[in-house]
Amino acid sequence: MILLGELALWIALPVGIWGAVAGFVGGRKERGDLVLSAEYSVYAVFLLLILTSVGIITAFVTDSFEYWYVANYSNRELPTFYKVSGLWAGQRGSLVFWALLLSFFSSAAVFTNRAKNREFMPYVAGILLTISSFFLVVLLFADVNPFERLPFAPADGRGLNPQLQNYWMTIHPPTLYLGFTAFTIPFAFAMSALLSGKLDTRWIVITRRWTLLSWFFLANGIIFGMRWAYEELGWGGFWFWDPVENASVLPWLTATAFLHSIQIQENRGMLKVWNMGLVTLTFLLTIFATFLTRSGLIESVHTFAENTTIAFIFLAFMGLMAGVSILLIAWRYPHLKSENQIQSFLSRESAFLFNNLILLGAAFTIMWGTLFPLITEGLTGTAIAVGPPFFNRVNLPIGLALLALMGIGPVIAWRRASRRNLVKNFRMPVLVGVMVIGALFLRGVHHGMALLTFGLSAFVMTIIIVEFVKGTKARARIEGEGYFPAFYHLVSRNRRRWGGYIVHVGVVMIFTAFAGVAFNREVLQTIDPGETITIESPFGHEYVLTYQGLSSPRGENMVRQAVALMTVARNGRPVESLRAEKVLYVKWESSPITNVGVNSYILEDLYLILENVNDLNGAFENDAGAQRATFKVQVNVLVGWIWYGGFVITLGGIIAMWPSRGSTTPAPRSKTKTEGERPALAARS
Amino acid sequence: MKDNGKFFVGLGGVALVVTYLIWTGVSQTMIYYLTPVELIARVEQDPTFHHVGVKVSGRVERGSWNRAEDELLHHFTVTDLIDESVRFPVEYRDILPDTFNDTENVDVVVEGRFREDGVFEATIVLAKCGSRYEATAEELLG
Repeated sequence: MILLGELALWIALPVGIWGAVAGFVGGRKERGDLVLSAEYSVYAVFLLLILTSVGIITAFVTDSFEYWYVANYSNRELPTFYKVSGLWAGQRGSLVFWALLLSFFSSAAVFTNRAKNREFMPYVAGILLTISSFFLVVLLFADVNPFERLPFAPADGRGLNPQLQNYWMTIHPPTLYLGFTAFTIPFAFAMSALLSGKLDTRWIVITRRWTLLSWFFLANGIIFGMRWAYEELGWGGFWFWDPVENASVLPWLTATAFLHSIQIQENRGMLKVWNMGLVTLTFLLTIFATFLTRSGLIESVHTFAENTTIAFIFLAFMGLMAGVSILLIAWRYPHLKSENQIQSFLSRESAFLFNNLILLGAAFTIMWGTLFPLITEGLTGTAIAVGPPFFNRVNLPIGLALLALMGIGPVIAWRRASRRNLVKNFRMPVLVGVMVIGALFLRGVHHGMALLTFGLSAFVMTIIIVEFVKGTKARARIEGEGYFPAFYHLVSRNRRRWGGYIVHVGVVMIFTAFAGVAFNREVLQTIDPGETITIESPFGHEYVLTYQGLSSPRGENMVRQAVALMTVARNGRPVESLRAEKVLYVKWESSPITNVGVNSYILEDLYLILENVNDLNGAFENDAGAQRATFKVQVNVLVGWIWYGGFVITLGGIIAMWPSRGSTTPAPRSKTKTEGERPALAARS
Repeated sequence: MKDNGKFFVGLGGVALVVTYLIWTGVSQTMIYYLTPVELIARVEQDPTFHHVGVKVSGRVERGSWNRAEDELLHHFTVTDLIDESVRFPVEYRDILPDTFNDTENVDVVVEGRFREDGVFEATIVLAKCGSRYEATAEELLG
């Protein structure tokens, strides 16, 4: 099975290259047989990569330590679940995994579009296989072959980094990779629209769905990563502004921009070049993200070992892709002229455009901050870095502006908003926002930026709720339905719009959670069993934690662990106890891993870290005298809202993506739309 | 057309605001990112460097970590990655990352201030156990 996997990897490359050539040539010369061959190549590469992946997983599960990759990322006692995750635990496997997901999405795209969007197919297959072949070349020739054998078979492997032995860590990278690879499809369709000259709205419709899918996975992948950092890294935060984290946010930001700006193209026939540019940029950023992780060019907790061969190949590939895309856009420029012009500052087009600019601005600042040490070192010889203070400072105003636009965009009229439109739609939400700020201020919240965030969040939420209520009421009246069926039909008739609003609700919740960080409290204390730590929540109540002592139970794949138990009382009433641990994993005896204990409530988390055990070895031996320990206790305000918000985004995303019955063609752009008309009618899909 | 002109003013405005944010953000939060050798050389050249925030990447000297009982203050020594004779003591008062230890070759990035008394007062410590990520064939055999 392993050998078969290795063989499949070698066969996949020529098949991929053949298919790419067949696609391009078949498209130019209109040779149906070649195009068909290219399509079959897409499927074949997918099947071959399945074999390769199964081969790698088999090597892990059967403890085949003669393979360098397995020896480095597994050990005999590792639970099978984590052995399977070895496929994406390290550089080599994750490249295979990347190629596998890419070929899966490629096959899905070819399968679902080959009948109805025939004329795109040759180039789509060609482009997708070119990109797949690139990854296969890297795998086979850049010194990262996952099937590389050692000259001997070690008795046991070196084990999986214990920080990766966490549920969220097993799903965070795959979800992110799904997002990254799925974006290759929009890119392929955009490029193939340019190549074939079929630049009507069709490529936009196909691209929109795939972008949404990619966006959805990226959002979830980023949130899972935050969850992992929060639970596993044990420092009480969820975001580092680490270069690799930043790199994963960049394509998400530009994809978000694209999802909004295509609505302008669909409704008003504008921004065609801009949209092409955004697709290309987002795709390049997905490649950039994997490049940054793999090259080791920038210091990060995520990076794999430094590999200059890979850095060079990736840079060359990104340069090539960027060059070709720019040339293609320039070539078709005459066909990408705007059909309309922006008529007013106060219009939905304008709000969306500002949203785009601000999202790109955010992406630019994050990229700049991430690459700053490289830039300064290149220019002056001394590296100068910027850290979290820079990112927080710069992105706070940007985030607030986005939040405001999230409220304004959905209800402001297309073309030119009248005074009536503005007053009617914004009077109440502004009032609610101001009232929320006032009420919070009176309750003792005096943090300016947090107040502004809460106020704007209330403003956006009011707008969204009013939209839902108005829509439901109108439908109930016109169709004579009850409110529940009216609500259901309202959403299901225009999933994209209402699903989008639900996504906005999730994003607002996450913004609110970010503002909550301003109110976090923490206490660091060294105590003996029987002693207590007291911490006051910003909401006024008080937690008293009583240290019950350490125990040392056995656990799977662990050498030892020390578990501290704390009973907790909230305002004198006992609540759930907390466990905080130091664990020594098999093969990782020199670094104890910290596992935090968390009690989650709706508005806050009580978070316990076992910072240090004075005599850890004694504790492992269950020595009664070795119990004195240092704890950090935190009250993390609103942090749970990130996860709730993520859930809401997932819900909204699924509603928006759910395939609608019947057509996938866009409604024809209405030429007769008048000022102030509800725009929803045109955005139906 | 007239309105489009107005619009470009808006675009320019956004670009200007973003540039301004980056500019002030960088100038007020930037820190030098140095190796221990560079840090020592800088400080000898210009003593005001003791008051500037810096970020230094080096390696934790084996066996150098200690922490007085009940004191929440960690002490360890950082050496240069290339010239191991260049070293300085570090003080740090918070939770060390799990990847930090002084029994293997652990690479660290410490951020803080290099005091006049020659002690580095760190506010952030990031650790990466480089050798732990991937091993060569010889290491596996050993």
